[in-house]
Amino acid sequence: MSTATITPSAQATPPVYVVGTARLLAGDTPAVPARDQRWLVEAARAAGLLGRGGAAFPVAAKLASVGRGATVLVNGSESEPASWKDRVLMRCVPGLVLDGALLVAGALHSREVVLAVADASSVAALQAASHQRGAGGRVRVVHTENGFVGGEVQALVNGLDQRPAVPNGRRVLPTVRGVGGRPTFASNVETFAQLALLAAHGPEGFASVGTAAEPGTTLVSVHTPDHGTSVVEVPHGTTLASLVGTSRPLLIGGYHGSWTAATDLRIERPALRAAGIGWGAGVVATLPETTCPIGEIARVAAWLAGESVGQCGPCVFGLAAIAGDLTALARGQRADTAGLRRRLGLVPGRGACSHPDGAARFVASGLQAYAEDLSRHERGGGCGRPVLSALPLGGPR
Amino acid sequence: MKHLQVDWTRCDGHGLCARLLSERITLDEWGFPIIDGRDLTVRELSSARLAVRSCPRLALTLEPTVTPASR
Ligand code: SF4
Ligand code: SF4
Repeated sequence: MSTATITPSAQATPPVYVVGTARLLAGDTPAVPARDQRWLVEAARAAGLLGRGGAAFPVAAKLASVGRGATVLVNGSESEPASWKDRVLMRCVPGLVLDGALLVAGALHSREVVLAVADASSVAALQAASHQRGAGGRVRVVHTENGFVGGEVQALVNGLDQRPAVPNGRRVLPTVRGVGGRPTFASNVETFAQLALLAAHGPEGFASVGTAAEPGTTLVSVHTPDHGTSVVEVPHGTTLASLVGTSRPLLIGGYHGSWTAATDLRIERPALRAAGIGWGAGVVATLPETTCPIGEIARVAAWLAGESVGQCGPCVFGLAAIAGDLTALARGQRADTAGLRRRLGLVPGRGACSHPDGAARFVASGLQAYAEDLSRHERGGGCGRPVLSALPLGGPR
Repeated sequence: MKHLQVDWTRCDGHGLCARLLSERITLDEWGFPIIDGRDLTVRELSSARLAVRSCPRLALTLEPTVTPASR
């Protein structure tokens, strides 16, 4: 972790699109009036605002649980490799993100606002926005270098406080003990941008797009064979079919998310959750028909196994064994699929963080969605298609 | 009511706990405990306490079960 020299980022921003009314990506950042904690809690409750980092925790409840003077932590690590939306926000509308963070800081009478960001271009954009607002004294933009699990909020707090950036053995909520040991309101980049919009438009204006169950818009990182990677702002209620238009299995939520063959889903966290699907970090991906899906799943599984930060036995050994089983299966070697299924059932809930749970969900749902391809591999010899490496893995930021 | 919990960052798979409380703890293929995390019966409590005390890594703990009513 360092605040030292920032080298230009390796990756160019993907194309950005808007379906319907642009809010986050409206171009002109609205004036964000100061609001007190009570107003914000009530507005977030009225808007049904859920955290945008993956856990979809109600923002109102989290805001109400911190006292005066709590630190504000903007989690901009975007450690999910298939997600681009947070970097799009930080690079393209850093002012909106910062205004959201300063809004919460004002409401909580915070002394410090910390933005933890892994992407160098985003760091530069946020620093410029902070400078522009004369907020440099209170705002600290920290360039982090964490992996997938390092973006988990406990790990992030540990890293910021110069401890190893790994999750704690026993869960401590940041709202109780966060950055510098102080109570901390921590949330994802997009959550803060949404709070800024909520304060600017008021709950009613905010709800003029979206659905009753989930007002407003959301950002989606989309990966399709035909159009590559893009980030799209959509009103809640948009169908996934209209976004990716496919009858092939969809990956929803990212590498802790799940594959599904259902095509009638709408983007609305409460409804997706009722269907057993987590929206996660807002990733939607489909594979090209020319690639071997078992090989693609194996490739991500191997990456996920490597991201386990080596603390917890069942996660370390379990994910490695699962990745090994899958790799053999993908190559058309004789594989112990019964053992693979048993192992997939063994890792969830047996780690200090939810990495093993998410990784097992990704693999198990993928094997179910691609059941036909799986059985071809089980019979030996594979499916004859190459592994095109269609899904993005973590690279340099 | 109490149940068993493992701090996975500490546990190194000695497997001692499974020998002391085989009714509730088995080992996976890598030697790490698979814990039946349901509430312990009164009869199991003393061997559970022994397992907790014997864990060389202080990884195993007895935790009070939080029910909606007691929250
Ligand atoms: S569960 Fe896995 S990723 Fe999470 S802390 Fe333990 S070893 Fe690391
Ligand atoms: S005795 Fe302790 S360290 Fe050994 S397996 Fe059981 S919990 Fe893990």
